Amino acid sequence: MIELRNVKKKFGNNEVLHDVSLKVNDGEVVVLLGPSGSGKTTFLRCINFLERADSGKLNFEGKEIDLKKARKKQILEIRRNSAFVFQNYGLFNNKTALQNVMEGLTAVQKKSKEEARKIALDTLDWVGLKDKADFFPSQLSGGQQQRVGIARAVALNPKVILFDEPTSALDPELVGETLAVIKKVAKKGITMIIVTHEMSFAQDVADKVVFMDGGVVVEEGSPDEVFYKPKEERTKKFLARILHQDMYYI
Amino acid sequence: MEFNYSYFVTSFKQALLYTPVTLKILFVTFTVSFVLGILIGAIRFYKVPFLSKFFSAFVTVYMGIPIMVALVLYNLVFLTCYTDFANFFHISKKINEIDQIVIAYVALIASNTCSMSEITRGGFRSVDKVQFEAGYTIGLTKFQTFRRIIFPQMLPVISPGLLNLLIGMLKSTNLVSTIGIMEIMVASLYPCQETYSYLEGYLAAALMYWIIGIAIENLGHLVEHYSDKYRKKPI
Repeated sequence: MIELRNVKKKFGNNEVLHDVSLKVNDGEVVVLLGPSGSGKTTFLRCINFLERADSGKLNFEGKEIDLKKARKKQILEIRRNSAFVFQNYGLFNNKTALQNVMEGLTAVQKKSKEEARKIALDTLDWVGLKDKADFFPSQLSGGQQQRVGIARAVALNPKVILFDEPTSALDPELVGETLAVIKKVAKKGITMIIVTHEMSFAQDVADKVVFMDGGVVVEEGSPDEVFYKPKEERTKKFLARILHQDMYYI
Repeated sequence: MEFNYSYFVTSFKQALLYTPVTLKILFVTFTVSFVLGILIGAIRFYKVPFLSKFFSAFVTVYMGIPIMVALVLYNLVFLTCYTDFANFFHISKKINEIDQIVIAYVALIASNTCSMSEITRGGFRSVDKVQFEAGYTIGLTKFQTFRRIIFPQMLPVISPGLLNLLIGMLKSTNLVSTIGIMEIMVASLYPCQETYSYLEGYLAAALMYWIIGIAIENLGHLVEHYSDKYRKKPI
């Protein structure tokens, strides 16, 4: 279980997160929604300390950690039990797809090369990229790169995977293949926190939807509750605009 | 002015004899200043408190001192202060037992470390932020991320600069003759003292430096080529 309480973050004078709390149960898929600038990504990055929060508490598997005062060792432990999928893929440019997936297995989990190689190949196969194992990121399409990114996250067998807008850098044609892989991850029962703008995907995969705006959680609940019976005026407005946009595209 | 071929050959042979000395100075200076340069570059890039400010000031100040001035200055300090220094720390070695090459190393390394730290800092800045973050998120430590992810990506970026500096270093090694160390330059001029015809000696030295320079350049291109395999080339 992951629980974040009263997370606050400022960039200079700009208060990005006012007071955000979130509870994620094991195996749950939580989708963070909201207009840009609402603090979703910052919140996600605060969880594994890519961004240092100004205050707040994190409860990770029963261990209580202060987000501001966390020590190196605690940070490393959180990072070794979680994985992150980046908006712009974040693959290691100097390594092939296979080496990208193996990196954490050999350097962090200290598995033998053969074992790591086997796990990495299996995982690449699982995302449908076994034949691209020896390609460098620069030789792969955006969708393929993102699938390698997901394979790298899954191979480490983390307690939670954080997705930061995994499809927003992809062109529409490639979004489908990536979302299909994320759905597969969800079926595995891994806890996930996903920031996305893909509404129908969110509805499909989420156990819980959290709507954020202006650095606070406006509304949270099951997908049906938030999408079809939103209570807050702000949520209704946002959904109306998004859904309207969807119709416009169709 | 007449060119005497046999004198040229004699000079070249002399130069060849002292090539190991020059190469040794070059190798030690390059290796040490490369390691120190990366260290200082990293300290400044990661903004280590206090140290980053200190080295930023040090590099700025020290870059302005010519190697020649530093060499002579250090030699002077060494000659005048060593005996007191040795007495104070109870070092039993006499001043004439110490190889002057040590002073040459200090002067060359200090100066080249400054240039090296600027080159590596450029390398650090060329690597995208997400590469660092990706390393951290899979659980690598800062040092592991540097060694396994960042440094290999820095290498193709800094290697032209390194090569440039290394060639410059080669050409500056002959400055050590000012404090009385024999190397290629002085050695090849040595036979000329018999005839007072220096053309052959200088040409022999030039040829020797050119040969070493070409070898280093080819080595550098090899490093560039192999460290750059993963990158897409523009058409």
